[in-house]
Amino acid sequence: MIPAETYLLLSAAIFCIGLFGILTRRNALIFLMSVELMLNAANINLVAFSLQHGNLTGQVFSLFTMALAAAEVAIGIGIILVLYRNFTDVDVTKATTMRW
Amino acid sequence: MAAFTYAPAIVLLPFVSFLVALFAGDRMPKGGALAGITATGGSLLLSIWVALTVAGGSVHNEILYQWTTSVESLQLNFGLLLDPLSALMLLIVCLISFLVHIFSLGYMNDEGETGLPRYYAGLGLFTASMLGFVVANNLLMAFMFFELVGLCSYLLIGFWFREDGPPSAAKKAFLVTRFGDYFFLIGVVGIFATFGTGLFAPITEGGEVVAESFPMLAEHAIVDGEVEGIAMLETVGMGPQAWFTVLGLLVLGGVIGKSAQFPLHTWLPDAMEGPTPVSALIHAATMVAAGVYLVARMYGFYAISPTALAVIALVGGFTALFAATMGLVKQEIKQVLAYSTISQYGYMMLALGSGGYIAAVFHLTTHAVFKALLFLGAGSVIIAMHHNENMWDMGGLKDRMPVTYWTFLAGSLALAGIVPFAGFWSKDEVLYEALIHGFGTEGGLGTAYLAAYAMGLLAVFFTGFYTFRMVYLTFHGDARSDTARDPEPVHWNVKGPLTVLGILATTIGFINMAPVAKLTGAHIDFLHKWLTGPEEGGWPALLSTDLHHYEELLHEVPHVDPAYPLGGEIGTLLASAAVSLGLALAGVLVARSLYGGADPVEHTDKLGGLKTLLMHNYYQDEYQVWLATGVTHPLARAMDKFDQGVVDGVVNGVSSVSLFGGSRIRRIQSGVVSNYATLLTLGLVLLLAAFGIMGGWF
Repeated sequence: MIPAETYLLLSAAIFCIGLFGILTRRNALIFLMSVELMLNAANINLVAFSLQHGNLTGQVFSLFTMALAAAEVAIGIGIILVLYRNFTDVDVTKATTMRW
Repeated sequence: MAAFTYAPAIVLLPFVSFLVALFAGDRMPKGGALAGITATGGSLLLSIWVALTVAGGSVHNEILYQWTTSVESLQLNFGLLLDPLSALMLLIVCLISFLVHIFSLGYMNDEGETGLPRYYAGLGLFTASMLGFVVANNLLMAFMFFELVGLCSYLLIGFWFREDGPPSAAKKAFLVTRFGDYFFLIGVVGIFATFGTGLFAPITEGGEVVAESFPMLAEHAIVDGEVEGIAMLETVGMGPQAWFTVLGLLVLGGVIGKSAQFPLHTWLPDAMEGPTPVSALIHAATMVAAGVYLVARMYGFYAISPTALAVIALVGGFTALFAATMGLVKQEIKQVLAYSTISQYGYMMLALGSGGYIAAVFHLTTHAVFKALLFLGAGSVIIAMHHNENMWDMGGLKDRMPVTYWTFLAGSLALAGIVPFAGFWSKDEVLYEALIHGFGTEGGLGTAYLAAYAMGLLAVFFTGFYTFRMVYLTFHGDARSDTARDPEPVHWNVKGPLTVLGILATTIGFINMAPVAKLTGAHIDFLHKWLTGPEEGGWPALLSTDLHHYEELLHEVPHVDPAYPLGGEIGTLLASAAVSLGLALAGVLVARSLYGGADPVEHTDKLGGLKTLLMHNYYQDEYQVWLATGVTHPLARAMDKFDQGVVDGVVNGVSSVSLFGGSRIRRIQSGVVSNYATLLTLGLVLLLAAFGIMGGWF
């Protein structure tokens, strides 16, 4: 059986990839994808611990997370659409009007 | 008692006349004067009824309106206290006000003054406020009406507001008396905080005390040592005696301001800028009398404090002498009268301070009559002289206006204290009380009494002198100007009040001829009986504002006792009367020899530098202006600097730091989402690192 640490390492790697995407990319769609990556990293974590502890709580939780991720994407895409309408671009560094 | 049911109308009638004169005066004949005459006449009749009822042995102390309902410990009321003192004062105020209203017909209406509704409205409100003050049964109500009196004096002194002098004099009167009233206000608050009540006399129902008065609470605290229920003593950390003295002196601040005692007397001579009938009203019955009346009203509170008594006596004695000397050199007839007023109120304070409660009330009564008479007489002269008040332009008016002359002479003899005119009896009693209590009281208080007595005695001579200097300059000798040779005639409305007051000034001293009563053994000291109350009436036990109670208090607490140094009671009495009468006569004779000739000259020039000093009123005005501009103003500026610099500086500094910090820190809100994400990540990493180090993960 593959030990839990492997899953955790995989999860950490995917999370860091997502984080890296958010910190470096400008395209809002890539942002969304990166956020999905981070959410899934969390899901892997949950499932791995579920396996480790031998109960189903973590798996149930990851199902909820997926539903949440779907909702988040729907709203995120909506925001990106509005962003495009207002700035004719999906570059997040261009939309800087909401500040002091 | 039916009279007591209608007693509030005594106050309300002049108030209604104020409203009528104010809103309908210009559509009425005589500019609203008739409303005022009717109202004060009605009040006078009601006052007589009340006085007769009180003479029958019943008194009245009732709360009419309570304007705090829920608070148990503190009750703020409007109420009515009718005892011999307030009944007597009601009579005086109503009578003088009634006569002043009639006199005003001659002084204002016949002289073609404009703004008459305003004038009569002022007189009405003035009378109503004073009457409200007189019947007040608690200190707060008294204070409110006290302030109203001050407001009315402002309105009336500044009646001729288009000229330069009157508005300034009005402001001065308002501000100077208000300065004293600050202390009074603090005293009122202090008394309420200490005793939880401002009642002058206990309220009883069927012989049971339902609400105790503050003089009685203070008396219990000092005589019986019952300090329970008296707050503030622990807060201020003083014994009851010391703290009650402080409270008494604070209230006395208002008295000194209103009764024009040194050092707050400076407003009164300037108040002569107002119309002469107003001066008569202010000086005889209303404003200036209010201060002395207040001390008499709460005499039970002062009688337990030797220090307060000594201060009252010394201030009174000093003011009597001080003001009399300034009256010696004045050239305007009303100025002389103004300083005589200050001086005479000094006598009343002297009497109150030295345990002569009855003498003070007696002098208050006689002075009200003869000073109103003198002012109205001066008003008559001023009408005749076409508003020239300089006595050096008068002379020889004796033959041309006999009614004014003879009544004015009666008033002058009363003021100078010549037997048998009113002033003799009362002034003699004031000095006699000060003398016997000065000898009989031990320690510093007795010494203070003797010092005050000496000053009062010396002032008798000056009073005789300046009074008859005024009479001789005005009425005797040759006429010194064309108007004096052909003065304008005055009408019935001037002569009528003068005659009434002239008769009263001659006879009112007979209400309390204490020396004669003592000599003959006849019971003719009516005022004494009046203030003691009928023996079977039982009201003294109810209100404890009677003479016996005060005399017992004076004997028990400050140990003010009489002693007769010169051949027993009769001998001392005669000696005292002879000395004061002799001094008064000496003053009159000196005035006669200096100014009695056909063509008198100004002898005061011989005084040299002293005359300049007296003419400038001892530079009291300059001194007070210097206090304001030289001391208070720089102090206020320094305070302002402190406020603007330090207090505001700290506040402004705090806000500047926040503003500056905010303007820098807000730059991290760049609007770029990636930056936020970076900061979030950094924060998370830092947090993890911190937890790691603290939690020992590494």
